[in-house]
Amino acid sequence: MQNWMGYELNEAEKGLVECYEKLASILQNEGEQLAPFEKRNALKALACLWQIANGLDMDPGQIYNMEIE
Amino acid sequence: MTTSPYWNPRHETFSREETQALQVHKLRRLLRWTIDQVPWQAQRLKEAGVEPDSIQSLEDLRRIPFMTRDQWMEAQLADPPYGPFLAAPKEAAIRYHMTSGTTGRTPIRVLDDLKDWEWIAEAWCHGFWGFGIRPEDTVFFAFSYGTFVGFWGAHYCCEKIGCLVLPGGNMTTAARVRQIMDMEATVVCSTPTYALRMAQEAKSLGIDLAKGPVKRVILSGEPAGSIPATKQLIEEQWGAKAGDTAGMTELGTIMMFECEHQPGGAHIIENHFIEEVIDPDTDEPVPYGEMGERVVTSFGRGFIPILRYRTRDFVVKVPASRCSCGRGWDIYEGGIRGRVDDMKLVRGTNVYPRAIEAIVREFPEIDEFQIHLYTADGIRDEIEVLVEIPNQDVEREGLLARLDTQLREAHEGLRIDVKEVETGSLPRFELKAKRVKDDRIVIGGSGEKRES
Repeated sequence: MQNWMGYELNEAEKGLVECYEKLASILQNEGEQLAPFEKRNALKALACLWQIANGLDMDPGQIYNMEIE
Repeated sequence: MTTSPYWNPRHETFSREETQALQVHKLRRLLRWTIDQVPWQAQRLKEAGVEPDSIQSLEDLRRIPFMTRDQWMEAQLADPPYGPFLAAPKEAAIRYHMTSGTTGRTPIRVLDDLKDWEWIAEAWCHGFWGFGIRPEDTVFFAFSYGTFVGFWGAHYCCEKIGCLVLPGGNMTTAARVRQIMDMEATVVCSTPTYALRMAQEAKSLGIDLAKGPVKRVILSGEPAGSIPATKQLIEEQWGAKAGDTAGMTELGTIMMFECEHQPGGAHIIENHFIEEVIDPDTDEPVPYGEMGERVVTSFGRGFIPILRYRTRDFVVKVPASRCSCGRGWDIYEGGIRGRVDDMKLVRGTNVYPRAIEAIVREFPEIDEFQIHLYTADGIRDEIEVLVEIPNQDVEREGLLARLDTQLREAHEGLRIDVKEVETGSLPRFELKAKRVKDDRIVIGGSGEKRES
């Protein structure tokens, strides 16, 4: 997995970016199935993982639409 | 990797070319988001002929129109409470903050969501980690925890780093000093003014801070954090290293920090911001080493996109190579040098409060001071510096004469009266100090009346 600058992510970094993508996908597509404690904690985790994806130059986009009930 | 001196080793050690490539990429992304989400901004950008794909280099940044604080305040008044700047529905927000009101009558109001709030802490992490703060530290915040954003982001940064955080809101100065000692805080965060205030209080309590547990003092909120004499005084009184940071409510976080190598300035956090320095009169960029006004573009706070915001701060940018820490991020030599709005014209001479403080702090016998401007005989501007000298053993006459001479020499021979006032009679400050008292009824020599 490479970022837009051509930097090759190591296995640990790749795993974290995949976590971010998976979490974003769940919240985007299956968020309605989640209990309050599941959804709000997942959103908080997503906000932290966003910082990693951003710091690795993976263009994580914006996530505001997932944060509205 | 956790022993790295850098919070984000790759970004912080980028070459200039890599940093600029990152900035151009993020700028295009920011423009796309802004044009899609903020009609007020989209209109301005359209009128200027700016499209995301037209940005090929940082030179193209200059085609983006400036945004000023006046525009922000006017648009906010016309469309209260937040103005037309929000790029996301306010239902997504989790935090509200407002400016402290240093400049302008209307506070600027801002919102952040979970992700922006984490980003705010992230920017602080660059600074705290870079100044040597680590998970084993115990950090005391001498901060009131209100709607002024102040050290809020730094608090969350310390939690993120894994420090033990001591939130020192709603406490007397004496209680704060005692808690710092009792809980063995290794780091204290405060304004420069309040760091000195706590040192005064410690003395009166019979506590020798220099023999205490504090190893680092993180300063923010006032330009004084980078005035060498003020910083030296803080370091002597606390027996600790003092590091400067600077941020803005408009950004939500800091955009510069002093690293452990302390090269005489603060690194710009260039993976999250573009910082330009321009001539405030011509709007043209100034080269390295010349004083100009900061203009900031921020990539982090998606809720309120910031493009080329005129900060009114005076800075001098120098290359990253000035520092031996290995970071590729340029430096603001001497931190924030003052504000465009701070300058006072007294009988034709420019007077900057920071310059006066730099001289006054050369005299450790002076505890507190105030710059007082007033009108004499209904027409003439006068300036006096009022000082408190608590130690009765100090020889007054010589000290006041030396201060008088130094102030005069630094201001083209301008007569600046120096007077001692009763100890404890001048105001003390917890947040941003206001040491200029302008009682003039006429500005300058032309008879121009004050507007407010």
